[in-house]
Amino acid sequence: MSVLPFPSFLDDVKAKGLKKAVFELVDESMERLTAGMNIQDIREALRGEPASRKPNPRLTPHADGFWLHMRPSYFHADMTGLYPTFRLGWLSTYLVFFETITGILLMVWYTPAPGIAYEDMVNIVTRVPLGQLMRDLHRLGAEAMVLIVALHMLRTYLTGSYKKPREFTWFTGVLLLIFTGFLSFTGYLLPWDQLALWAVTIGASMIEATPPAIVGENLNLLIRGGPEIAANGLLRFYLAHVLLLPVLLFIFVGVHYYKVIIHGHSLPPKKENIGEDTAKRVPLDKRVYFIPDILTSETMWLAVTTLILVVLCIWFYDAPLEHHADPQITPLGTTAPWYFLWLQGALKLGDKVFWGLIFPGILLGVLAVWPYLDVTPSRRFADRRIAITIFLLLISFTTILSYMGLAKFGVATSADAEVLYEMTFPPAHNRMGELLPVPYNQLVVGMYTTRQIAAENDDPGNGSSAVNAFNQEVETIMVATADGNATLSLDAWITDLLSREDHLAISGLNFTTVPADAPELKQVLEDFQAKLEAENTELYNGWGGIIISQNQDGLKRADVLVSWDEVQLESGHPVLDENGNVIPVLDANGQPVRRLNRTHIFIHEDGAYFAN
Amino acid sequence: MATASVTKAQVAQPSTEQAAALSAPTRREFLYYIWGASIALILGQTTAGLIWFSLPRFRPGEFGGTFSITGAEVPTAGDAPHSYPSGRFHVSNVPDQGVVALYGVCTHLGCLPKWVATNSRFECPCHGSKYELNGKYIEGPAPRSLDRFVTTLTFGDGTTAVTNATGDPIPLDGKTIVKMDINTGNRIKRSGRV
Repeated sequence: MSVLPFPSFLDDVKAKGLKKAVFELVDESMERLTAGMNIQDIREALRGEPASRKPNPRLTPHADGFWLHMRPSYFHADMTGLYPTFRLGWLSTYLVFFETITGILLMVWYTPAPGIAYEDMVNIVTRVPLGQLMRDLHRLGAEAMVLIVALHMLRTYLTGSYKKPREFTWFTGVLLLIFTGFLSFTGYLLPWDQLALWAVTIGASMIEATPPAIVGENLNLLIRGGPEIAANGLLRFYLAHVLLLPVLLFIFVGVHYYKVIIHGHSLPPKKENIGEDTAKRVPLDKRVYFIPDILTSETMWLAVTTLILVVLCIWFYDAPLEHHADPQITPLGTTAPWYFLWLQGALKLGDKVFWGLIFPGILLGVLAVWPYLDVTPSRRFADRRIAITIFLLLISFTTILSYMGLAKFGVATSADAEVLYEMTFPPAHNRMGELLPVPYNQLVVGMYTTRQIAAENDDPGNGSSAVNAFNQEVETIMVATADGNATLSLDAWITDLLSREDHLAISGLNFTTVPADAPELKQVLEDFQAKLEAENTELYNGWGGIIISQNQDGLKRADVLVSWDEVQLESGHPVLDENGNVIPVLDANGQPVRRLNRTHIFIHEDGAYFAN
Repeated sequence: MATASVTKAQVAQPSTEQAAALSAPTRREFLYYIWGASIALILGQTTAGLIWFSLPRFRPGEFGGTFSITGAEVPTAGDAPHSYPSGRFHVSNVPDQGVVALYGVCTHLGCLPKWVATNSRFECPCHGSKYELNGKYIEGPAPRSLDRFVTTLTFGDGTTAVTNATGDPIPLDGKTIVKMDINTGNRIKRSGRV
């Protein structure tokens, strides 16, 4: 007596009425979708009531469903708060997921080829809606992931959770740390800017140094795809970053998490008897069920993490993008990201084979097998003074090496090059050259000099008279030409160099004061003067100049000059006489030798996407 | 005495598990072992083949041809070196030593040291290695001085001079250079920081 020629939903409608039939259909669908919980079960869970039927329907999704099959159906009550894990394992897993999603979205707009990659990066951060946010999230997420994973490792070490029977879990964890490091390294190359190319060239050269020579050289060629990092290298790094390493990561996350669940979460050290592992036998009164309590708290943590990352990216963080990769110029200030600074610091100590390979190799090796070395049974802090001391020493050592890895340690070049660099360098991790953030309309065409600032530091009214005096000075001071056969005024000498070598279309120097409606430009000039004063032993009688010209429609050019009297130098430092003064170098006529260094950058009216 | 008899007893009557573990393989078992070994062999060959597949097709020193420059492009003694980015070398004329073509890549980790006129030396921006005008190591983590290319100088009087085996600068002996050929396919590594 079916409504249709075959049994169907309509029979239920006929038998029970539409409302009841629909309700029962939805109820059954919910039970199937959740692999075990119908509407009443879900509502009871959300209300915080105990389950009203047996077997407990909140356990069936774990038993019958795929998604929750590896998640534990209950946690120990002592493991549900922030302490002792700070939920770092969960955060690490979430960040893997977060990076995968943001990465795949970026893949929509990115092609790994040298002529196209950088263009795509500029496109993503300027034209793609929410593109800059997506890229910043991916980059910040990568740094956050390294930090969280490292903190997770530190926490596991401090609570002694690596001890028997969890030694293998720790070992797979160290493998995951290594994969995270390589994911970061391979991803670093993809923007194809100067920072990417040279940081990765250094890393690849370290790999080249692996002994024996035949292994190192071939490994180097395999990853670079050629003698230098070019099209082949970019493609190989891309494939490693989006395929090989994620596959390895997912596999080992699976192994790692499986072992975590098999052994159970190790309890806070004080709550266990020494040598006993009670994590697997959670007493009934200490069980907190996954559905709904752990599920909701985990969801809350990932929401908070996402919120923090998004807030940081919108208001505080900008991922760097320097100039296009140039294999012929290594820029100043190529730094490793902060989590590799320790390695960069170690490399400054000496032999790259030892410090770049053997030393990190030993460090990671000892880390990986640590649970097999430290076989003491107690996890309590009081019983682990030696292990914790070793830990603190390692942290100090890594911090000192990281400081040494900073660009300013040991790689300062001559003062004039340093000053010019600080005025014009492209956006690095959180800073950029002084001139770059100046609004386009405040870059007024003209020539400006730090002499204005030097005079105004004495008396604010002296600015324009000092500039006029300076214009006279550059026309009267004479410098000898390179072949010594003629003399030119300083004005003529500088104009000749700028127009002939730098192709700047000027016919003479004519400095003016900074216009009143360009306060940020004035501030840049003041910073310039401060830098010159800080280096006034090496940059003796030095002055700086900024020449702004209109290069094309919408494009301005800023030439930054530094000029000084040469002083005697030894190993890069000024020689001092018995009174502590510098010794100017004099030419054949007893005149001081005037030096000039300069650089120039182009600023587009739409290019200020880093200026907040 | 008691221990000796116990040991002897153990040796004399091995348990059945031990007997199974030590007995000669059956035909089936043996063939499995042979199959396993052939799988291992195949995997080894495949790995080698994959490495061969992935190695880049190139010639070492691919910019590795010979660059020619005229005498006018060689700097005067003591001046800053002339740089040739496309050939990745610098030409230095060192007073009292001669002319040398230095490979522009730092011997530490592959960055390009820059000639810093103020300090009269090459300075590498990555980890601070420093070299003199003739490429000799001054300080820093670099393991050796800058590499050089084999160069042939042609002088005004028709004679020629070639870089020696250790890559020292070629002395000029007061002669003028008409032409300089730098062979970027032939690179000499110095034996250390000399």
